[in-house]
Amino acid sequence: MCGVFAIFATSLGIEEKRELTKQALAQLQHRGPDAWGVYNSPKATLGHVRLSIVDVAAGHQPMVSGDQIVSFNGEIFNHVELRAELESQGVVFETRSDTEVILKLYQRDGIDCFRQFNGQFAIIIWDKREQRLIAARDRYGIRPLYLLPYRGGWAFSSEMKAFDCLPGFRRSFSPAGLLEHGLLWNTLGETTVYNDVRSVESGTVKIFATSGEEQTRRYYQLGEELSARRDQFSSFEQAQEGLTQALSDAVTLRLRSDVPVGAYLSGGIDSTVISRLVKDATNHDFRTFSVAFEDESLDESLYQKMASEDVNSQHNEVRVSRQNIADSIADTVRHTERPIFRTAPTPLYLLSDKVQQERIKVVLTGEGADEILCGYDAFKELKILEAWKKNGYSPKVEGALRDLYPHLAHYSDPKHFGLIRLYYEGFLDDYDNEMAGLNIRFNNNKILERYLNPDFGLQVDKDRMRERIAEQLPADFKHWTLMQRNSFLEMKTLLQGYLLSSQGDRMALSHGVEGRFPFLDHQVVEQAFAMPDEYKLRGFEQKAVLREAFTGKIPQQIIDRPKRPYMAPDLISFIDDSGNLQGMAAEMMNDQAIRDAGLFNHEMVAKFLKKFKRGVPKDIGYRDNMIFTFIYSTQLCHYWLNKPVQDAPDYGLCTVDIVDTL
Amino acid sequence: MIKDDARQALVAFISENYMVDEDEIPLDQSLIDEGIIDSFGLIEIASYLQTAHGIEIAEDELIRDNFGSVNKMIDFAARKVGTSCAS
Repeated sequence: MCGVFAIFATSLGIEEKRELTKQALAQLQHRGPDAWGVYNSPKATLGHVRLSIVDVAAGHQPMVSGDQIVSFNGEIFNHVELRAELESQGVVFETRSDTEVILKLYQRDGIDCFRQFNGQFAIIIWDKREQRLIAARDRYGIRPLYLLPYRGGWAFSSEMKAFDCLPGFRRSFSPAGLLEHGLLWNTLGETTVYNDVRSVESGTVKIFATSGEEQTRRYYQLGEELSARRDQFSSFEQAQEGLTQALSDAVTLRLRSDVPVGAYLSGGIDSTVISRLVKDATNHDFRTFSVAFEDESLDESLYQKMASEDVNSQHNEVRVSRQNIADSIADTVRHTERPIFRTAPTPLYLLSDKVQQERIKVVLTGEGADEILCGYDAFKELKILEAWKKNGYSPKVEGALRDLYPHLAHYSDPKHFGLIRLYYEGFLDDYDNEMAGLNIRFNNNKILERYLNPDFGLQVDKDRMRERIAEQLPADFKHWTLMQRNSFLEMKTLLQGYLLSSQGDRMALSHGVEGRFPFLDHQVVEQAFAMPDEYKLRGFEQKAVLREAFTGKIPQQIIDRPKRPYMAPDLISFIDDSGNLQGMAAEMMNDQAIRDAGLFNHEMVAKFLKKFKRGVPKDIGYRDNMIFTFIYSTQLCHYWLNKPVQDAPDYGLCTVDIVDTL
Repeated sequence: MIKDDARQALVAFISENYMVDEDEIPLDQSLIDEGIIDSFGLIEIASYLQTAHGIEIAEDELIRDNFGSVNKMIDFAARKVGTSCAS
């Protein structure tokens, strides 16, 4: 895995661009600690930091072939098949790398190449012949790619922090972006939480001309194979076989690597299934890694060990305490580059450190299964609301509500049940609007508006938010089922904005570890998307087709255990029994620090903290944890904006330094 | 008069716990719909009413008619207190 950086602008001299790119690459070296390189030309400078995985000896970047130059972060898993096809047409390759396949396929098909890739990528191509710069991102936003208008042109980067070394630019929060992120766990479209910084949308390719013109073309949209695949399976049994085959193929493709591949085990069904498929595909010993917690209520190590023993892996765990969270949250947020809502990324930051120490560079994980197979409780909530609205309140609806969140004390206590019912009753009118399952998250997070600095003059406007979301939706969205609509929205918000970025790419790559996600192979995704809803959510049994398909193949206890979200200790890690903020939180959350940053209403923050003057109660709810983590992590982002880490390039690791005069 | 005091105390509780100014708390609208509390907040408020008014709330009383707004909660608590005094 790697990092990319580029500057496309004629207002800067070639030498200036080259120096800036080297500085920027130094800020990305955690993504690619093995080597770095630059390609320099009067119009475009491309940079690359490399984590060597495929063709370790020859796959250096940026790579030049004829009039095209590429800098690429990620993997094209089907490069072997694409290469064979090109070779059969007489194309000659000089390396074994997937990077060269990108160039040669682009030379044959232009921007139609991207839809042929099965992979996870952010790709920048400078096409000298066409005098255009191409920037493309994978289907689901696994690999990041940001852009910034700069000096009459553009700068591009895998991570926003590399922009911090561009003279004349400093990242600053966009209050509207911050609020949108707060409500949805992501900003929509190309926007980010920072002014001027944009994100290349997943599934799109952008074309920049030397004239300054910019075009965006979408090459993929979730659900595009729906009509072709609608009748793919005629029974539940066939669907199980189909899913097993597609997943198995996805795992096999993702085991392509010249270095050893490991796996993360969460203790849940998804990662256990992936490990089982790795074992079946290789029959080799492999390494697995897990996060364990000192807090027993959060710890899942019993199930993680069960999964590891089942595939006989060499297992390592990182045991995380509240103190570890408090100590590492600042470094975590430097890498997430945006506010977070839970501290859960921090243990994954610590885990990738461990994986790197163990010299593993690639891990397979179970990410994406919940989005495509209705694994989240939001899907159940929607189904309950739909049944309730259609047929009225019934014992079946009541039973389903009671079972919603067994891990939350206030849901399982029968004395409180009526209040839970009352809470959901409030969503009966609008649960099936464009926002589907996001209505509940939006409502719960609306409170953040009150905490933002009132000088921003921001007000949560649900109708405006619905319009913003509607702009992102494909034309046939309204013909989809409620479950499919919610899948789409979860993939665009929680998955991209949080799970794949804050908790995924940025945590793994903070220590040069590449995550691979078989459930996010587009063949698996499209197949699952087109399955009837009841194969995924059978009654209220989540991911039914997956559970059934792997019954007898993985430990039954893991299949049968109730779903629980991966969580780490939040507020309790930062406030002691006397209500005092601990460590860096004391510096970042005190009244003066809040006033100085100017992002939040300092009176509200003070009131909020006063609530914990006798410590954090044992049964604290989602909202208080979320509010604190959001504010604290925003303050930490602000801290890093003003104190960017400026690492120097390691010149000994430079493998490419091309100067092109054309 | 007693009801007014009870309402004021409930508003103060909500203001203190959910970080809203007292004049921002709607008396006749749902606190959930207004984004002031989530499901956990409802439980905290129910538990406050039990303690503050010395009442026991039964499961079948946890309905929108009783908890749908500040005024409904106060009316409900007053009825409960009345019932327990009479018995």
